[in-house]
Amino acid sequence: MLLDKKRLKEALAILSRDAKVLVPMEVDGVAKFTPWDGQKLPSLDMINTTLPPKDALFPQTEKMYNFTTGPNAQIAEVQGTEKQVLFGVRSCDARSIDCMDKAFLTGTFGDSFYSKKRENLTIIAVGCVKTGPFCFCDSMGLDPSSAPNADVQLADLGDAYAVTAQTERGTAVLDQWKSLLTEGEGDAPKPKCVLQVSVPEDFPKKLMGMFEHPIWDEVSKPCLGCGTCTYVCPTCYCFDINAEKHGHEGTEFRCWDSCMFSDYARMAGGHNPRPSKKERVRNRYLHKLAYFHEQHGQLLCVGCGRCVQKCPSNMDITRFIDMAGEAMNNG
Amino acid sequence: MSQVNEMQAQLRKVAAELLENDTVGYIIGWGATRFPDRTTPVFIHEAKDADKLMWNEYCVNGLAKYVLDDKIKAKKIGICIRGCDSRAINRLIIDNQIKRENVYLIGLPCEGKADKIKCGKCAHKNPVIHDVLIGDLVAETPVTDRFKAVEDQEKLTSDEKHAYWKGVYDKCIRCFACRNVCPVCSCKECFADQYRVGWQGKQNNSTENWNYGLTRSYHVGDRCVECGECERVCPMDLPLMLQNRKMLKDINELFGDYECGLSEEDRAPILGDYDLSDRDEFM
Repeated sequence: MLLDKKRLKEALAILSRDAKVLVPMEVDGVAKFTPWDGQKLPSLDMINTTLPPKDALFPQTEKMYNFTTGPNAQIAEVQGTEKQVLFGVRSCDARSIDCMDKAFLTGTFGDSFYSKKRENLTIIAVGCVKTGPFCFCDSMGLDPSSAPNADVQLADLGDAYAVTAQTERGTAVLDQWKSLLTEGEGDAPKPKCVLQVSVPEDFPKKLMGMFEHPIWDEVSKPCLGCGTCTYVCPTCYCFDINAEKHGHEGTEFRCWDSCMFSDYARMAGGHNPRPSKKERVRNRYLHKLAYFHEQHGQLLCVGCGRCVQKCPSNMDITRFIDMAGEAMNNG
Repeated sequence: MSQVNEMQAQLRKVAAELLENDTVGYIIGWGATRFPDRTTPVFIHEAKDADKLMWNEYCVNGLAKYVLDDKIKAKKIGICIRGCDSRAINRLIIDNQIKRENVYLIGLPCEGKADKIKCGKCAHKNPVIHDVLIGDLVAETPVTDRFKAVEDQEKLTSDEKHAYWKGVYDKCIRCFACRNVCPVCSCKECFADQYRVGWQGKQNNSTENWNYGLTRSYHVGDRCVECGECERVCPMDLPLMLQNRKMLKDINELFGDYECGLSEEDRAPILGDYDLSDRDEFM
C-alpha cells in the first residue's frame, strides 16, 4: 500500500486521536522525538536525532512510587498507561527497542514500569534513503532500509511511502489509515553505510577473553568519564533509584545512570571495583560487544553512530572494534 | 610546505628527541581519527610513534586535564599546549594540582582552530608558558567583544533572563562533560556526585540541572581560563561560556581586571582569598 507524502499530516492526525505521537523534530536546537504539534511536518530527512527515542519507554527521570511515612504509611505505584506512537524511527533505533525489550522483559524479572509503556507503544519505522558519516548499522547486522521489529515499516519512494504492516498492531494502524492508502508498491533506495567495521561471529566470545589485554589501557586514555556516550546511546539502559522526600511525603524515582561515572560502581563503604577510566571503558565496550551477546545472542550496539559523533574526545567504538579484531588476529 | 605542516614536522621531530633522550616519559598531543576533520587526544610513549602527532586546524580538544590522570609520575609528562592549554596548565600549577617540574611544555602558537565558537574570543594565541616553542609566535589580536554577549544578556528583564536560562537547563542532560573536561574542575569528589549528602538531586529536571550548572559556574568563578572546552563538549550545545563570562565580568567589575592563568605566580582565586580593601557594601 502507498501513503502519499501530501497526506502525512492526515495520517499523523489519525494516530493522534488516541495516542501521543512522537516524531523526530528539532526543538530549541536539539533533535529528538517529541510530541507532534499537529502542525509541522516531522523532520524525516534528518539522518538521526541527537537524542535517541528511548525516553519514550525509559524516561531519563521516571517516578515509580509516591509514599507517605508515619503510622499510616502508604505506597502508591505511579504507572503511565498512555498510548504512544513512535513515528519515523530508523532501523537502528527500532533495533535498540528490541535490545531494551530483552533487557527489561526477559529473564527472571520483568520490569513493570517498562512493560506497561511497551504494551502501549506502536513503532512506525522509516527506511533510510541515505546514511550519515557516523552510521555503521549494517556492520552490526542491521539493514538501514528495514526494521523487522517495527509494527509498521515505511519505505520512502520519493512522493509516497510504501507502507507495510509487520505485526497485528501494525495491521490496526493500516486499518486506521484505510482512507488515505492507495494500492501500489515500489522500490525504495537501499543505502549502504560508508563506515564499515568487521564483527566476525566469534568476536564477542574472543573479546570476552581479552579482559586483561593491554588494549584497554590504550583505548581508554582519551576518555573524560562523562556520560555523553551513554545518554545519546539508544540501548544504554542502566538506571539508579533515588528518593525525594519532603516532610512525610516523598517520591521514589529512577533516572538514567552511566557506567562511565565514578560513582556508578561505588559500593557501600566506598570501595570501587572500577576505580579508573580503564575499567569503566572496558565495561562499556564489553557490555555492548560481549556480555549482552552472551546473555541475549545479539550485540548491544546498533551502529547508530551517536556516541562516535558526540564524544568530546572523539573516541570511536568502530575504531575500537577494528583494533580489537586486529589484536585477536595477532593472537 | 605550509606553515602548519612545517610545524607538524617540527613537532614530530622535537617529540621524537624528547622521548629518545628521556626528557619525558610520554607526550600528550593530538592524533588522527577515522574522520579527516577530527582529531583525538593521543599519548605517545615511543620515539618511533612521534609521527602519529598531528598539528592542523582540527586539533581542537583541550589537553591540560589529562595531566591529572597520571598520579605517580615516573618521568615528566610532555604535553602540547596552545595559548588556552598553557593558561590551564598555569591554573593547575597554582592550584597545586601539578608541579611545574613534572611537565614539559611543548608550546604551539595557534591561529585558532576549526571550532569558531571556542576560538572566537581568544586573547592568547601564543602559549603564555613553554619549555620549547614550535614555529614562530603569532600576532595577538585584541578581543573587543569579550563581554558583548553578557552585556546583551544584562539588558534583558529578570523574567526574560529566567525564561532564557530555564530553556537552557531544560535541555541539559547532565552528562557532566562540561565538568569533566574543565581544567579547573579538579575536585577529587564533585559536590554533584555527593548524592547522599543532598547538595544535588539526581533527577533530571531544569531545577536540578540549573543547580548543578550554576554551582559549578560559581565554583569555577575567576579560575576560568576561557578555553571554551565546556561549551565545545556540550552535546546539547548549551551557551555555557556566556554564564562563565557573566561571572568573569562581575568579578572584573568588583575586583579589577583579571585574566586567569597568565603566569605561574598568579594571585589566589578571588573567591578563595580576601583582602581588607575588598568591596564589602553587602555586609
